[in-house]
Amino acid sequence: METSIGRRIGVAVRKYYVAYLFILGPVICTTIFLFIPMISSFAFSLTEWSGIQPPEFVGLANYQRLILHDRKFIKSLVNTTIFVILGQGSGPVFGLVSALALNQKVKFRAAFRTAYFLPVTTSLVVVATVWKMLYNENGLINALLRSVDLPTTRWLMNPRTALLSIIVTSVWQGFGFETVIFLAALQAIPKELYEAAMIDGANAWNRFWHVTLPGLRPVIVMIYIIGIIGSYQVFDQIYVMTEGGPVNSTLSVVYYLYDNFHYMKFGYASAVAYILFAILALFSYLQMRFFGQEE
Amino acid sequence: MGMSRTRVLKLVGRTGLYLALIASSIAMLVPFYWMLSTSLKLEADVFAYPPEWIPQPATFIHYVEVWTRLPFARFLFNSLLVASMVTLSNVFFCTLAGYAFAKLSFPGRDKIFFVLLMTLMVPFQVNLIPLYKLMDLFKWIDTYWALIVPSATSVFGIYLMRQYILSIPDELLDSARVDGCSEFGIFWWIVAPLSLPGVATLAIFTFMGAWTNFLWPMIVTSSMDMRTLPVGIALLQEYHTTNWSQTMAGSAIAALPMIIVFLFMQRQFIEGMTAGAVKR
Repeated sequence: METSIGRRIGVAVRKYYVAYLFILGPVICTTIFLFIPMISSFAFSLTEWSGIQPPEFVGLANYQRLILHDRKFIKSLVNTTIFVILGQGSGPVFGLVSALALNQKVKFRAAFRTAYFLPVTTSLVVVATVWKMLYNENGLINALLRSVDLPTTRWLMNPRTALLSIIVTSVWQGFGFETVIFLAALQAIPKELYEAAMIDGANAWNRFWHVTLPGLRPVIVMIYIIGIIGSYQVFDQIYVMTEGGPVNSTLSVVYYLYDNFHYMKFGYASAVAYILFAILALFSYLQMRFFGQEE
Repeated sequence: MGMSRTRVLKLVGRTGLYLALIASSIAMLVPFYWMLSTSLKLEADVFAYPPEWIPQPATFIHYVEVWTRLPFARFLFNSLLVASMVTLSNVFFCTLAGYAFAKLSFPGRDKIFFVLLMTLMVPFQVNLIPLYKLMDLFKWIDTYWALIVPSATSVFGIYLMRQYILSIPDELLDSARVDGCSEFGIFWWIVAPLSLPGVATLAIFTFMGAWTNFLWPMIVTSSMDMRTLPVGIALLQEYHTTNWSQTMAGSAIAALPMIIVFLFMQRQFIEGMTAGAVKR
């Protein structure tokens, strides 16, 4: 049995070796740098491992501790979820509104689109660094507020404003991506549909509700899935702007993972990683369900 | 009367639209402007009140400083080297594998492709610790190998190129095969030239991803000489009490190359991004 499989593989390799050669690089790379780490990570998550001593098997103890006893982890999960809900609640809406505006007959459309998209091309570290300066006690934002006699605060030092400030920066950085995607999707909706709706006497709101939105549905689903999965991994902004503080008010799941890695709690950090993986796998599953319905 | 009223309404609507577009564009551009203007200010003027919109006096000293006293030239070199190598390698391997998955038939093709696609669901952070341990095992920590090799190929890139190459007509490849062209010859002389627009998209996004990458380069490098621009910028803020004009000069150096690439290759950027997202 085994030899016949072996022989069949041998024949296949001889006959199709060029094709296998073409995919060899990526397959090896993906195996070494993705599959093996992915499985090792799960194995690590079942151990107590502090770097110096060899890992010791502890079963599901790390998961148990994280979910039942680790308030800091729960806090990071709550913060990240707030980040996802507020960020994804506003970013794609800004993207859609700006795309609808640019889809009118406007002059300098390309220039406006460039302005919205510019931060998307810029590294999050640079964006976060610039905004950290803008949020400074004496920074531009407070200076502008002061000039019109509005109250000011130390945006990133105040536990009540820090997370919100990071969300504002992240939405500012990212929504241009959605603008560009929505604009292309709007332009792909057949003009005849609008003309037909006009003949039927549909007003602007009806046309938006019955032609535009259904036309955008697949793109909206895709944008939300990419957005949710991406925002659950938020790290760079937090590292630069607050390091998870003040009093853990901006601690995110990946920042907490990084923190544990930093203190060489490798087993515990791997369990954090796998819980994040489970959450994102759930969203990916929902995505497949959605797209499955589309086809 | 009624006519002029709708015209007035329309005029108000247009004015409102332009005002909203202009106001929001200003909100997008001010942080960039503030980065540049701060980089030209004296340290003492950074937080001046009222805010100093035009630096008085303007100085290039901070650019000279980040270039000479801080290792920004080295950061820039590292970022350029790593992003270029990662891009070159991805373009080659992903196009080649994309071609095999799109146009060659071999046992296990669809299964292998499916398994590769599934890895797109795995967030990078899951692999972070084992990957770090692996680099340690290879003695690659704090070397270019660790910055380049793990990102040398990407499943997303293979997927993108496969989709692109699927649209090349089979007859073209078959007639070359009849003429006795080797598979690699077909790839090199027919498939690669015809998929150049797809390659441009892949190259732009790979370069951008490598250029802005932060978590991995930060974890896997330890000496100043091996840091990339984003890591350098983030760490310099920690080590020194922040000298904002210097930090902004460094940020501008990190931001400008991508902005310039985007301004010159806007069409490829936008078409590449929307090709995957919007079915036509």
